[in-house]
Amino acid sequence: MINELKDPRKTFGEAVIEAAGRNQNIVVLSADSSSGSGLGDFPKKFPDRHFEFGIMEQGVIGFASGLATTGKIPVFAAIAPFVTARPFEMFRNDLGYMNQNVKVVGRCASLTYDQLGSTHHSIDDVAIIRTIPGVTIINPGDPVTIKKAVHAMIQHTGPCYMKIGNQKMPVLYEEDVDFNLGKGIVIHDGSDVTLIGTGTVLSKTVAAAKLLEEAGVSVRLIDIHTIKPLDRDLILSAARETGRIVTVEEHFIAGGLGSAIAEICSQEYPVKMKMIGIGDLYASNGPYEELIGKYGLQPDQIKETVIKFLNNK
Amino acid sequence: MDSKEILKLEYTALKLRRNILRLIRAGEAGHVGGALSSVEILTALYFNLLNIDPVNPKWKERDRFVLSAGHKCLVLYAALAERGFFDAAILDTYGALDSPIPGHPNMHKLPGIETNTGALGHGLSIAGGMALGLRLDKSPAKVYVLMGDGELAEGSNWEAASAASMHRLENLIVFVDRNKLQISGPTIEVMSYEPLDERWRSFGWGVRVIDGHNLESIISNAKQAPFEKGKPSVMIADTLKSKGLSFAEGKVSYHYWKTKPEELEQAEHDLNMIEEQLRAKMEVAGL
Repeated sequence: MINELKDPRKTFGEAVIEAAGRNQNIVVLSADSSSGSGLGDFPKKFPDRHFEFGIMEQGVIGFASGLATTGKIPVFAAIAPFVTARPFEMFRNDLGYMNQNVKVVGRCASLTYDQLGSTHHSIDDVAIIRTIPGVTIINPGDPVTIKKAVHAMIQHTGPCYMKIGNQKMPVLYEEDVDFNLGKGIVIHDGSDVTLIGTGTVLSKTVAAAKLLEEAGVSVRLIDIHTIKPLDRDLILSAARETGRIVTVEEHFIAGGLGSAIAEICSQEYPVKMKMIGIGDLYASNGPYEELIGKYGLQPDQIKETVIKFLNNK
Repeated sequence: MDSKEILKLEYTALKLRRNILRLIRAGEAGHVGGALSSVEILTALYFNLLNIDPVNPKWKERDRFVLSAGHKCLVLYAALAERGFFDAAILDTYGALDSPIPGHPNMHKLPGIETNTGALGHGLSIAGGMALGLRLDKSPAKVYVLMGDGELAEGSNWEAASAASMHRLENLIVFVDRNKLQISGPTIEVMSYEPLDERWRSFGWGVRVIDGHNLESIISNAKQAPFEKGKPSVMIADTLKSKGLSFAEGKVSYHYWKTKPEELEQAEHDLNMIEEQLRAKMEVAGL
Protein backbone atom coordinates (compact mmCIF):
# COMPACT_ATOMS: atom_id res chain seq x y z
CA MET A 1 0.00 0.00 0.00
CA ILE A 2 1.41 3.39 -1.01
CA ASN A 3 3.09 5.27 1.88
CA GLU A 4 2.94 2.23 4.16
CA LEU A 5 6.17 2.07 6.17
CA LYS A 6 8.15 -1.14 5.83
CA ASP A 7 11.42 -2.43 7.26
CA PRO A 8 13.99 -2.61 4.42
CA ARG A 9 15.98 -5.41 6.04
CA LYS A 10 12.92 -7.57 6.66
CA THR A 11 11.76 -6.91 3.10
CA PHE A 12 15.18 -7.85 1.75
CA GLY A 13 15.44 -11.02 3.85
CA GLU A 14 11.96 -12.23 2.85
CA ALA A 15 12.81 -11.71 -0.82
CA VAL A 16 16.05 -13.71 -0.50
CA ILE A 17 14.23 -16.56 1.27
CA GLU A 18 11.55 -16.52 -1.41
CA ALA A 19 14.20 -16.66 -4.16
CA ALA A 20 16.11 -19.41 -2.36
CA GLY A 21 12.96 -21.53 -2.27
CA ARG A 22 12.97 -21.48 -6.05
CA ASN A 23 16.70 -21.56 -6.73
CA GLN A 24 18.72 -24.30 -5.03
CA ASN A 25 21.99 -22.60 -5.89
CA ILE A 26 21.42 -19.64 -3.60
CA VAL A 27 23.58 -19.81 -0.47
CA VAL A 28 23.85 -17.19 2.26
CA LEU A 29 27.10 -16.23 3.95
CA SER A 30 27.11 -14.45 7.26
CA ALA A 31 29.80 -12.46 9.03
CA ASP A 32 27.81 -12.59 12.24
CA SER A 33 25.42 -10.56 10.14
CA SER A 34 22.53 -12.67 8.81
CA SER A 35 20.16 -12.06 11.70
CA GLY A 36 20.74 -8.30 11.46
CA SER A 37 20.17 -8.40 7.73
CA GLY A 38 16.65 -9.79 7.80
CA LEU A 39 17.99 -13.28 7.14
CA GLY A 40 17.42 -14.72 10.60
CA ASP A 41 15.00 -17.30 9.17
CA PHE A 42 17.28 -18.39 6.34
CA PRO A 43 19.32 -20.92 8.37
CA LYS A 44 16.09 -22.34 9.78
CA LYS A 45 14.64 -22.88 6.32
CA PHE A 46 17.85 -23.82 4.52
CA PRO A 47 20.35 -25.04 7.14
CA ASP A 48 22.69 -26.61 4.57
CA ARG A 49 22.87 -23.42 2.54
CA HIS A 50 23.74 -20.98 5.29
CA PHE A 51 27.37 -20.52 6.28
CA GLU A 52 28.36 -18.59 9.38
CA PHE A 53 31.89 -17.15 9.51
CA GLY A 54 31.91 -14.70 12.35
CA ILE A 55 33.23 -11.20 11.93
CA MET A 56 35.68 -11.67 9.03
CA GLU A 57 34.32 -9.79 6.03
CA GLN A 58 37.53 -10.01 3.97
CA GLY A 59 37.56 -13.77 4.22
CA VAL A 60 33.85 -14.06 3.54
CA ILE A 61 34.23 -12.27 0.20
CA GLY A 62 36.89 -14.82 -0.76
CA PHE A 63 34.77 -17.76 0.35
CA ALA A 64 31.86 -16.31 -1.64
CA SER A 65 34.07 -16.12 -4.71
CA GLY A 66 35.14 -19.73 -4.30
CA LEU A 67 31.56 -20.91 -3.79
CA ALA A 68 30.53 -19.08 -6.95
CA THR A 69 33.16 -20.96 -8.96
CA THR A 70 31.20 -24.13 -8.17
CA GLY A 71 27.94 -22.69 -9.50
CA LYS A 72 26.48 -21.40 -6.26
CA ILE A 73 24.94 -17.94 -6.00
CA PRO A 74 26.29 -16.55 -2.74
CA VAL A 75 24.42 -13.73 -1.02
CA PHE A 76 26.44 -11.88 1.61
CA ALA A 77 24.77 -9.14 3.61
CA ALA A 78 26.30 -7.12 6.42
CA ILE A 79 26.72 -3.52 7.56
CA ALA A 80 27.58 -1.57 4.41
CA PRO A 81 31.09 -0.22 5.15
CA PHE A 82 32.22 -3.67 6.25
CA VAL A 83 31.35 -5.28 2.91
CA THR A 84 32.74 -2.46 0.76
CA ALA A 85 35.46 -0.25 2.22
CA ARG A 86 36.96 -2.89 4.49
CA PRO A 87 37.28 -5.77 2.00
CA PHE A 88 37.67 -3.53 -1.04
CA GLU A 89 40.61 -5.44 -2.52
CA MET A 90 38.77 -8.74 -2.07
CA PHE A 91 35.71 -7.23 -3.75
CA ARG A 92 37.83 -5.92 -6.62
CA ASN A 93 39.99 -9.01 -7.21
CA ASP A 94 37.93 -11.99 -6.03
CA LEU A 95 34.53 -10.79 -7.26
CA GLY A 96 35.18 -8.12 -9.89
CA TYR A 97 38.36 -9.29 -11.59
CA MET A 98 37.32 -12.94 -11.29
CA ASN A 99 33.81 -11.95 -12.48
CA GLN A 100 32.06 -14.14 -9.93
CA ASN A 101 28.31 -14.38 -9.53
CA VAL A 102 28.21 -13.08 -5.96
CA LYS A 103 25.62 -10.74 -4.47
CA VAL A 104 26.98 -8.42 -1.79
CA VAL A 105 24.44 -6.41 0.16
CA GLY A 106 25.37 -3.46 2.33
CA ARG A 107 22.61 -2.85 4.85
CA CYS A 108 22.10 0.07 7.22
CA ALA A 109 23.87 1.94 4.42
CA SER A 110 24.48 5.64 3.86
CA LEU A 111 23.68 7.59 7.08
CA THR A 112 20.97 5.23 8.29
CA TYR A 113 23.15 3.98 11.15
CA ASP A 114 22.65 7.59 12.20
CA GLN A 115 23.97 7.93 15.74
CA LEU A 116 26.60 5.19 15.39
CA GLY A 117 28.98 7.62 13.74
CA SER A 118 31.31 7.69 10.77
CA THR A 119 32.79 4.20 11.19
CA HIS A 120 29.32 2.82 10.56
CA HIS A 121 28.17 5.26 7.90
CA SER A 122 28.61 4.25 4.30
CA ILE A 123 28.65 7.32 2.14
CA ASP A 124 31.60 6.23 -0.01
CA ASP A 125 30.43 2.74 -1.06
CA VAL A 126 29.05 3.73 -4.46
CA ALA A 127 32.17 5.77 -5.19
CA ILE A 128 34.59 2.95 -4.53
CA ILE A 129 32.60 -0.02 -5.85
CA ARG A 130 31.80 1.97 -9.01
CA THR A 131 35.48 1.78 -9.95
CA ILE A 132 35.33 -2.02 -10.23
CA PRO A 133 34.58 -3.03 -13.84
CA GLY A 134 31.60 -5.32 -14.30
CA VAL A 135 29.95 -4.81 -10.91
CA THR A 136 26.26 -3.89 -10.97
CA ILE A 137 25.31 -1.36 -8.26
CA ILE A 138 21.71 -1.27 -7.12
CA ASN A 139 20.26 1.30 -4.71
CA PRO A 140 16.51 0.75 -4.51
CA GLY A 141 14.41 3.50 -2.95
CA ASP A 142 11.36 1.74 -1.55
CA PRO A 143 10.25 -1.67 -0.24
CA VAL A 144 8.60 -2.72 -3.51
CA THR A 145 11.76 -2.10 -5.51
CA ILE A 146 13.97 -3.69 -2.83
CA LYS A 147 12.05 -6.91 -3.34
CA LYS A 148 12.18 -6.61 -7.11
CA ALA A 149 15.87 -5.73 -6.97
CA VAL A 150 16.62 -8.93 -5.03
CA HIS A 151 14.98 -11.09 -7.69
CA ALA A 152 16.58 -9.11 -10.53
CA MET A 153 20.00 -9.38 -8.88
CA ILE A 154 19.64 -13.16 -8.51
CA GLN A 155 18.59 -13.51 -12.14
CA HIS A 156 21.48 -11.38 -13.32
CA THR A 157 24.74 -13.30 -13.77
CA GLY A 158 27.69 -11.38 -12.39
CA PRO A 159 28.87 -9.56 -9.29
CA CYS A 160 26.39 -7.15 -7.72
CA TYR A 161 26.44 -4.66 -4.89
CA MET A 162 23.08 -3.64 -3.47
CA LYS A 163 22.57 -1.16 -0.64
CA ILE A 164 19.61 -0.81 1.66
CA GLY A 165 18.90 1.35 4.69
CA ASN A 166 17.92 0.77 8.26
CA GLN A 167 14.85 2.84 9.13
CA LYS A 168 11.41 1.87 7.90
CA MET A 169 10.74 3.41 4.52
CA PRO A 170 7.51 4.33 2.73
CA VAL A 171 6.15 2.32 -0.18
CA LEU A 172 6.40 4.54 -3.26
CA TYR A 173 5.42 2.13 -6.00
CA GLU A 174 2.55 -0.16 -6.83
CA GLU A 175 3.44 -3.85 -6.79
CA ASP A 176 3.27 -4.04 -10.59
CA VAL A 177 5.86 -1.32 -11.23
CA ASP A 178 8.17 -2.21 -14.09
CA PHE A 179 11.65 -2.79 -12.61
CA ASN A 180 14.61 -3.57 -14.80
CA LEU A 181 18.29 -3.43 -13.83
CA GLY A 182 20.00 -0.56 -15.62
CA LYS A 183 16.76 1.25 -16.43
CA GLY A 184 15.69 4.29 -14.45
CA ILE A 185 12.05 4.92 -13.61
CA VAL A 186 10.45 8.20 -14.66
CA ILE A 187 8.06 8.80 -11.77
CA HIS A 188 6.53 11.80 -13.48
CA ASP A 189 7.35 13.99 -16.42
CA GLY A 190 8.21 17.67 -16.39
CA SER A 191 10.14 20.27 -18.34
CA ASP A 192 11.81 22.88 -16.07
CA VAL A 193 14.28 20.63 -14.30
CA THR A 194 15.13 16.95 -13.87
CA LEU A 195 15.31 15.79 -10.27
CA ILE A 196 17.07 12.45 -9.83
CA GLY A 197 16.93 10.54 -6.57
CA THR A 198 18.22 7.19 -5.40
CA GLY A 199 18.03 4.82 -2.46
CA THR A 200 17.18 5.94 1.04
CA VAL A 201 16.47 9.54 0.03
CA LEU A 202 14.27 8.72 -2.96
CA SER A 203 11.19 9.33 -0.80
CA LYS A 204 12.59 12.75 0.20
CA THR A 205 13.17 13.53 -3.48
CA VAL A 206 9.61 12.52 -4.32
CA ALA A 207 8.30 14.77 -1.56
CA ALA A 208 10.53 17.63 -2.73
CA ALA A 209 9.22 17.25 -6.29
CA LYS A 210 5.69 17.57 -4.97
CA LEU A 211 6.60 20.79 -3.16
CA LEU A 212 8.22 22.13 -6.33
CA GLU A 213 5.17 21.30 -8.43
CA GLU A 214 3.03 23.12 -5.87
CA ALA A 215 5.36 26.10 -6.29
CA GLY A 216 4.80 26.01 -10.04
CA VAL A 217 7.99 24.24 -11.12
CA SER A 218 7.56 21.48 -13.69
CA VAL A 219 9.77 18.63 -12.48
CA ARG A 220 10.86 15.53 -14.31
CA LEU A 221 11.33 13.09 -11.45
CA ILE A 222 13.56 10.06 -12.01
CA ASP A 223 14.47 7.15 -9.76
CA ILE A 224 17.91 5.81 -10.61
CA HIS A 225 17.90 2.53 -8.69
CA THR A 226 20.74 1.08 -10.75
CA ILE A 227 23.74 3.34 -10.44
CA LYS A 228 25.88 1.03 -12.55
CA PRO A 229 25.30 0.43 -15.38
CA LEU A 230 23.69 3.84 -15.59
CA ASP A 231 20.67 4.48 -17.84
CA ARG A 232 22.57 6.86 -20.12
CA ASP A 233 19.75 7.27 -22.66
CA LEU A 234 17.30 8.34 -19.98
CA ILE A 235 19.80 10.78 -18.52
CA LEU A 236 20.80 12.28 -21.85
CA SER A 237 17.19 12.75 -22.91
CA ALA A 238 16.50 14.46 -19.57
CA ALA A 239 19.53 16.71 -20.14
CA ARG A 240 18.36 17.59 -23.66
CA GLU A 241 14.72 18.08 -22.79
CA THR A 242 14.90 19.86 -19.41
CA GLY A 243 18.34 21.50 -19.61
CA ARG A 244 19.02 21.21 -15.87
CA ILE A 245 19.68 18.27 -13.59
CA VAL A 246 19.65 18.05 -9.82
CA THR A 247 20.80 14.84 -8.14
CA VAL A 248 19.90 13.82 -4.60
CA GLU A 249 21.81 11.13 -2.74
CA GLU A 250 22.72 10.13 0.80
CA HIS A 251 26.35 9.73 -0.23
CA PHE A 252 29.45 11.81 -0.77
CA ILE A 253 29.08 14.20 -3.67
CA ALA A 254 32.49 12.85 -4.69
CA GLY A 255 32.08 9.71 -6.72
CA GLY A 256 28.38 9.05 -6.24
CA LEU A 257 25.32 9.16 -8.46
CA GLY A 258 25.77 12.86 -9.26
CA SER A 259 29.37 12.25 -10.32
CA ALA A 260 28.35 9.30 -12.47
CA ILE A 261 25.70 11.41 -14.22
CA ALA A 262 28.14 14.30 -14.66
CA GLU A 263 30.63 11.93 -16.28
CA ILE A 264 28.06 11.27 -19.00
CA CYS A 265 26.53 14.73 -19.39
CA SER A 266 29.77 16.72 -19.28
CA GLN A 267 31.07 14.73 -22.21
CA GLU A 268 27.97 14.15 -24.27
CA TYR A 269 25.48 16.93 -23.50
CA PRO A 270 26.73 19.45 -20.95
CA VAL A 271 23.98 20.97 -18.83
CA LYS A 272 23.97 22.83 -15.55
CA MET A 273 23.90 20.43 -12.62
CA LYS A 274 23.44 20.64 -8.89
CA MET A 275 24.48 17.72 -6.74
CA ILE A 276 22.86 17.40 -3.34
CA GLY A 277 24.80 15.09 -1.05
CA ILE A 278 27.50 15.13 1.55
CA GLY A 279 30.65 17.19 1.13
CA ASP A 280 34.24 16.43 2.01
CA LEU A 281 33.73 15.67 5.70
CA TYR A 282 32.99 12.93 8.22
CA ALA A 283 29.27 13.06 8.80
CA SER A 284 28.02 13.79 12.27
CA ASN A 285 25.78 11.62 14.41
CA GLY A 286 22.26 11.90 15.77
CA PRO A 287 18.63 11.02 15.04
CA TYR A 288 18.27 10.09 11.36
CA GLU A 289 15.82 12.78 10.26
CA GLU A 290 17.86 15.49 11.97
CA LEU A 291 21.11 14.08 10.64
CA ILE A 292 20.10 14.09 6.98
CA GLY A 293 18.65 17.56 7.56
CA LYS A 294 22.15 18.66 8.53
CA TYR A 295 23.18 17.83 4.97
CA GLY A 296 20.22 19.40 3.19
CA LEU A 297 18.44 16.16 2.35
CA GLN A 298 14.96 16.95 3.72
CA PRO A 299 12.22 17.72 1.15
CA ASP A 300 11.88 21.43 1.97
CA GLN A 301 15.67 21.82 1.83
CA ILE A 302 15.87 20.02 -1.51
CA LYS A 303 13.07 22.25 -2.79
CA GLU A 304 14.91 25.42 -1.71
CA THR A 305 18.16 24.22 -3.27
CA VAL A 306 16.40 23.50 -6.55
CA ILE A 307 14.66 26.88 -6.62
CA LYS A 308 17.91 28.69 -5.89
CA PHE A 309 19.60 26.66 -8.62
CA LEU A 310 16.85 27.50 -11.13
CA ASN A 311 16.97 31.19 -10.25
CA ASN A 312 20.73 31.29 -10.74
CA LYS A 313 20.58 31.66 -14.53
CA MET B 1 55.92 -45.18 -4.82
CA ASP B 2 57.89 -46.97 -7.56
CA SER B 3 61.38 -45.44 -7.82
CA LYS B 4 61.15 -45.40 -11.61
CA GLU B 5 58.02 -43.30 -11.41
CA ILE B 6 59.79 -40.91 -9.09
CA LEU B 7 62.72 -40.64 -11.50
CA LYS B 8 60.32 -39.85 -14.32
CA LEU B 9 58.72 -37.17 -12.19
CA GLU B 10 62.13 -35.75 -11.36
CA TYR B 11 62.73 -35.47 -15.08
CA THR B 12 59.40 -33.68 -15.45
CA ALA B 13 60.47 -31.29 -12.68
CA LEU B 14 63.58 -30.54 -14.72
CA LYS B 15 61.36 -29.78 -17.73
CA LEU B 16 59.39 -27.36 -15.59
CA ARG B 17 62.64 -25.64 -14.59
CA ARG B 18 63.54 -25.42 -18.27
CA ASN B 19 60.12 -23.91 -18.98
CA ILE B 20 60.71 -21.35 -16.23
CA LEU B 21 64.02 -20.45 -17.84
CA ARG B 22 62.25 -20.17 -21.19
CA LEU B 23 59.71 -17.77 -19.65
CA ILE B 24 62.37 -15.67 -18.01
CA ARG B 25 64.35 -15.47 -21.25
CA ALA B 26 61.25 -14.09 -22.97
CA GLY B 27 60.35 -11.63 -20.21
CA GLU B 28 63.93 -10.78 -19.20
CA ALA B 29 62.71 -10.59 -15.59
CA GLY B 30 60.35 -12.35 -13.24
CA HIS B 31 59.64 -13.82 -9.83
CA VAL B 32 61.93 -16.77 -10.28
CA GLY B 33 62.96 -17.61 -6.69
CA GLY B 34 59.59 -18.81 -5.43
CA ALA B 35 58.73 -20.42 -8.77
CA LEU B 36 61.85 -22.59 -8.63
CA SER B 37 61.39 -23.48 -4.97
CA SER B 38 57.94 -24.88 -5.69
CA VAL B 39 58.73 -26.84 -8.85
CA GLU B 40 58.52 -30.23 -7.13
CA ILE B 41 55.20 -29.32 -5.49
CA LEU B 42 53.71 -28.31 -8.84
CA THR B 43 55.18 -31.40 -10.51
CA ALA B 44 53.57 -33.62 -7.88
CA LEU B 45 50.26 -31.82 -8.33
CA TYR B 46 50.01 -31.63 -12.10
CA PHE B 47 51.62 -35.00 -12.89
CA ASN B 48 50.29 -37.13 -10.07
CA LEU B 49 47.89 -35.70 -7.51
CA LEU B 50 45.39 -33.56 -9.43
CA ASN B 51 42.45 -35.30 -11.05
CA ILE B 52 42.21 -33.02 -14.09
CA ASP B 53 41.67 -33.19 -17.84
CA PRO B 54 43.56 -30.69 -20.02
CA VAL B 55 41.09 -31.37 -22.85
CA ASN B 56 38.17 -30.49 -20.59
CA PRO B 57 39.62 -27.90 -18.20
CA LYS B 58 36.21 -26.90 -16.79
CA TRP B 59 35.19 -30.50 -15.99
CA LYS B 60 32.90 -30.16 -12.97
CA GLU B 61 34.40 -32.99 -10.94
CA ARG B 62 38.01 -31.84 -11.36
CA ASP B 63 40.34 -31.16 -8.48
CA ARG B 64 41.15 -27.45 -8.13
CA PHE B 65 44.53 -25.84 -7.67
CA VAL B 66 44.71 -22.31 -6.29
CA LEU B 67 48.02 -20.50 -6.55
CA SER B 68 47.57 -18.16 -3.62
CA ALA B 69 51.08 -16.78 -4.02
CA GLY B 70 50.27 -15.53 -7.53
CA HIS B 71 53.75 -14.17 -8.11
CA LYS B 72 54.95 -17.78 -8.39
CA CYS B 73 53.01 -17.92 -11.69
CA LEU B 74 56.06 -18.92 -13.75
CA VAL B 75 55.90 -22.40 -12.26
CA LEU B 76 52.16 -22.59 -12.91
CA TYR B 77 52.59 -21.62 -16.56
CA ALA B 78 55.48 -24.07 -16.81
CA ALA B 79 53.35 -26.91 -15.42
CA LEU B 80 50.19 -26.11 -17.40
CA ALA B 81 52.14 -25.97 -20.67
CA GLU B 82 53.90 -29.24 -19.89
CA ARG B 83 50.60 -30.90 -18.94
CA GLY B 84 49.09 -29.84 -22.26
CA PHE B 85 46.64 -27.13 -21.19
CA PHE B 86 48.06 -24.83 -23.85
CA ASP B 87 50.75 -24.64 -26.50
CA ALA B 88 54.20 -24.21 -24.97
CA ALA B 89 54.94 -21.49 -27.56
CA ILE B 90 52.81 -19.22 -25.34
CA LEU B 91 55.68 -19.32 -22.83
CA ASP B 92 57.70 -17.21 -25.27
CA THR B 93 55.22 -14.35 -24.97
CA TYR B 94 56.00 -13.66 -21.30
CA GLY B 95 56.37 -9.92 -20.82
CA ALA B 96 54.83 -8.99 -24.19
CA LEU B 97 51.87 -6.66 -24.59
CA ASP B 98 48.58 -8.57 -24.13
CA SER B 99 50.38 -11.82 -23.40
CA PRO B 100 48.00 -14.45 -22.02
CA ILE B 101 50.53 -15.07 -19.26
CA PRO B 102 50.78 -11.89 -17.19
CA GLY B 103 53.07 -11.44 -14.20
CA HIS B 104 50.23 -12.72 -12.03
CA PRO B 105 47.75 -15.25 -13.42
CA ASN B 106 44.47 -14.33 -15.10
CA MET B 107 41.87 -17.12 -15.37
CA HIS B 108 40.11 -15.35 -18.23
CA LYS B 109 43.16 -15.56 -20.48
CA LEU B 110 44.08 -19.24 -20.41
CA PRO B 111 42.50 -22.62 -19.67
CA GLY B 112 43.54 -24.39 -16.50
CA ILE B 113 43.93 -21.31 -14.33
CA GLU B 114 41.34 -21.41 -11.55
CA THR B 115 41.76 -18.00 -9.88
CA ASN B 116 43.09 -14.50 -10.37
CA THR B 117 45.68 -14.11 -7.69
CA GLY B 118 48.60 -11.78 -7.13
CA ALA B 119 47.52 -9.74 -4.15
CA LEU B 120 48.61 -11.95 -1.28
CA GLY B 121 46.26 -13.43 1.29
CA HIS B 122 43.34 -14.09 -1.06
CA GLY B 123 43.82 -17.68 -2.23
CA LEU B 124 43.01 -19.58 0.93
CA SER B 125 39.58 -17.95 1.30
CA ILE B 126 38.72 -18.58 -2.32
CA ALA B 127 39.90 -22.18 -2.04
CA GLY B 128 37.84 -22.58 1.13
CA GLY B 129 34.75 -21.44 -0.77
CA MET B 130 35.51 -23.93 -3.54
CA ALA B 131 35.87 -26.71 -0.98
CA LEU B 132 32.55 -25.75 0.64
CA GLY B 133 30.78 -25.65 -2.72
CA LEU B 134 32.20 -29.01 -3.81
CA ARG B 135 31.20 -30.59 -0.51
CA LEU B 136 27.70 -29.18 -0.89
CA ASP B 137 27.54 -30.92 -4.28
CA LYS B 138 28.86 -34.13 -2.68
CA SER B 139 31.75 -34.00 -5.15
CA PRO B 140 34.83 -36.12 -4.40
CA ALA B 141 37.04 -33.33 -5.78
CA LYS B 142 39.77 -31.83 -3.64
CA VAL B 143 41.08 -28.28 -3.51
CA TYR B 144 44.84 -27.78 -3.32
CA VAL B 145 46.49 -24.47 -2.50
CA LEU B 146 50.07 -23.22 -2.70
CA MET B 147 51.00 -20.41 -0.36
CA GLY B 148 54.27 -18.63 0.23
CA ASP B 149 55.76 -18.38 3.69
CA GLY B 150 56.18 -14.59 3.47
CA GLU B 151 52.52 -14.43 2.42
CA LEU B 152 51.46 -15.78 5.80
CA ALA B 153 51.88 -12.33 7.35
CA GLU B 154 48.65 -11.27 5.62
CA GLY B 155 45.99 -11.46 8.33
CA SER B 156 43.30 -12.53 5.88
CA ASN B 157 44.99 -15.94 5.68
CA TRP B 158 44.25 -16.54 9.31
CA GLU B 159 40.61 -15.58 8.87
CA ALA B 160 40.48 -18.22 6.15
CA ALA B 161 42.41 -20.77 8.22
CA SER B 162 39.94 -20.41 11.09
CA ALA B 163 36.93 -20.68 8.81
CA ALA B 164 38.27 -23.75 6.98
CA SER B 165 38.74 -25.45 10.31
CA MET B 166 35.36 -24.34 11.68
CA HIS B 167 33.68 -25.70 8.55
CA ARG B 168 35.69 -28.93 8.77
CA LEU B 169 36.96 -28.73 5.20
CA GLU B 170 38.61 -32.14 4.85
CA ASN B 171 38.83 -31.63 1.09
CA LEU B 172 41.17 -28.64 1.43
CA ILE B 173 44.91 -29.35 1.20
CA VAL B 174 47.49 -26.60 1.50
CA PHE B 175 51.19 -26.51 0.71
CA VAL B 176 53.26 -23.75 2.28
CA ASP B 177 56.41 -23.24 0.24
CA ARG B 178 58.71 -22.49 3.18
CA ASN B 179 61.72 -21.22 1.26
CA LYS B 180 62.43 -18.93 4.22
CA LEU B 181 63.14 -15.80 2.19
CA GLN B 182 61.11 -12.80 1.13
CA ILE B 183 61.95 -9.51 -0.58
CA SER B 184 63.44 -7.82 2.48
CA GLY B 185 65.33 -10.81 3.84
CA PRO B 186 64.86 -14.01 5.84
CA THR B 187 61.20 -14.54 6.70
CA ILE B 188 61.96 -15.15 10.37
CA GLU B 189 63.55 -11.68 10.53
CA VAL B 190 60.94 -9.83 8.47
CA MET B 191 57.88 -11.25 10.26
CA SER B 192 58.33 -14.58 11.90
CA TYR B 193 55.43 -17.00 12.02
CA GLU B 194 57.44 -19.77 13.63
CA PRO B 195 56.77 -22.27 14.96
CA LEU B 196 54.67 -22.56 11.84
CA ASP B 197 53.50 -26.12 12.45
CA GLU B 198 52.20 -25.21 15.90
CA ARG B 199 50.54 -22.12 14.56
CA TRP B 200 48.56 -24.07 11.94
CA ARG B 201 47.78 -26.82 14.46
CA SER B 202 46.39 -24.26 16.88
CA PHE B 203 44.13 -23.00 14.09
CA GLY B 204 42.61 -26.49 13.88
CA TRP B 205 44.51 -27.99 10.95
CA GLY B 206 46.18 -31.34 10.43
CA VAL B 207 49.85 -30.50 9.90
CA ARG B 208 52.90 -32.22 8.43
CA VAL B 209 56.35 -30.84 7.79
CA ILE B 210 57.83 -32.30 4.61
CA ASP B 211 60.82 -31.95 2.30
CA GLY B 212 59.41 -29.78 -0.48
CA HIS B 213 61.93 -31.04 -3.04
CA ASN B 214 61.30 -34.74 -2.39
CA LEU B 215 58.63 -35.84 -4.82
CA GLU B 216 58.00 -39.13 -3.07
CA SER B 217 57.47 -37.36 0.24
CA ILE B 218 55.20 -34.70 -1.28
CA ILE B 219 53.01 -37.26 -3.03
CA SER B 220 52.80 -39.87 -0.28
CA ASN B 221 51.96 -37.25 2.34
CA ALA B 222 49.42 -35.45 0.16
CA LYS B 223 47.69 -38.76 -0.57
CA GLN B 224 47.20 -39.32 3.15
CA ALA B 225 45.17 -36.11 3.53
CA PRO B 226 43.07 -35.45 5.49
CA PHE B 227 45.71 -35.97 8.13
CA GLU B 228 43.12 -35.73 10.88
CA LYS B 229 39.42 -36.48 10.68
CA GLY B 230 37.28 -33.42 10.13
CA LYS B 231 40.20 -31.08 9.59
CA PRO B 232 41.79 -29.34 6.62
CA SER B 233 45.40 -30.34 5.96
CA VAL B 234 48.58 -28.34 5.53
CA MET B 235 52.02 -29.47 4.47
CA ILE B 236 54.80 -27.12 5.43
CA ALA B 237 57.23 -27.85 2.65
CA ASP B 238 60.82 -26.93 3.41
CA THR B 239 62.43 -25.71 0.21
CA LEU B 240 65.36 -23.78 -1.16
CA LYS B 241 64.63 -20.52 -2.94
CA SER B 242 65.73 -20.48 -6.60
CA LYS B 243 66.43 -24.24 -6.39
CA GLY B 244 68.44 -25.44 -9.38
CA LEU B 245 70.35 -22.26 -10.23
CA SER B 246 73.77 -22.42 -8.58
CA PHE B 247 74.29 -18.66 -8.51
CA ALA B 248 70.84 -17.86 -7.12
CA GLU B 249 69.99 -20.60 -4.65
CA GLY B 250 69.16 -19.23 -1.20
CA LYS B 251 69.82 -15.65 -2.26
CA VAL B 252 67.19 -13.05 -1.51
CA SER B 253 68.15 -10.93 -4.51
CA TYR B 254 66.72 -13.57 -6.87
CA HIS B 255 63.18 -13.26 -5.51
CA TYR B 256 62.71 -11.18 -8.65
CA TRP B 257 65.41 -11.86 -11.20
CA LYS B 258 66.41 -9.27 -13.79
CA THR B 259 68.46 -11.45 -16.06
CA LYS B 260 71.98 -10.82 -17.28
CA PRO B 261 73.28 -12.75 -20.34
CA GLU B 262 76.04 -14.49 -18.38
CA GLU B 263 73.52 -15.58 -15.72
CA LEU B 264 71.25 -17.05 -18.35
CA GLU B 265 74.21 -18.97 -19.72
CA GLN B 266 75.05 -20.24 -16.24
CA ALA B 267 71.41 -21.19 -15.63
CA GLU B 268 71.38 -23.23 -18.84
CA HIS B 269 74.59 -24.93 -17.76
CA ASP B 270 73.17 -25.70 -14.29
CA LEU B 271 70.07 -27.32 -15.75
CA ASN B 272 72.22 -29.31 -18.19
CA MET B 273 74.20 -30.63 -15.24
CA ILE B 274 70.99 -31.69 -13.51
CA GLU B 275 69.90 -33.39 -16.71
CA GLU B 276 73.19 -35.27 -16.98
CA GLN B 277 72.90 -36.58 -13.43
CA LEU B 278 69.27 -37.54 -13.93
CA ARG B 279 69.97 -39.34 -17.20
CA ALA B 280 72.70 -41.37 -15.53
CA LYS B 281 70.28 -42.42 -12.79
CA MET B 282 67.61 -43.23 -15.33
CA GLU B 283 70.02 -45.36 -17.33
CA VAL B 284 70.85 -47.38 -14.23
CA ALA B 285 67.14 -47.80 -13.62
CA GLY B 286 66.66 -48.97 -17.20
CA LEU B 287 64.64 -45.97 -18.30
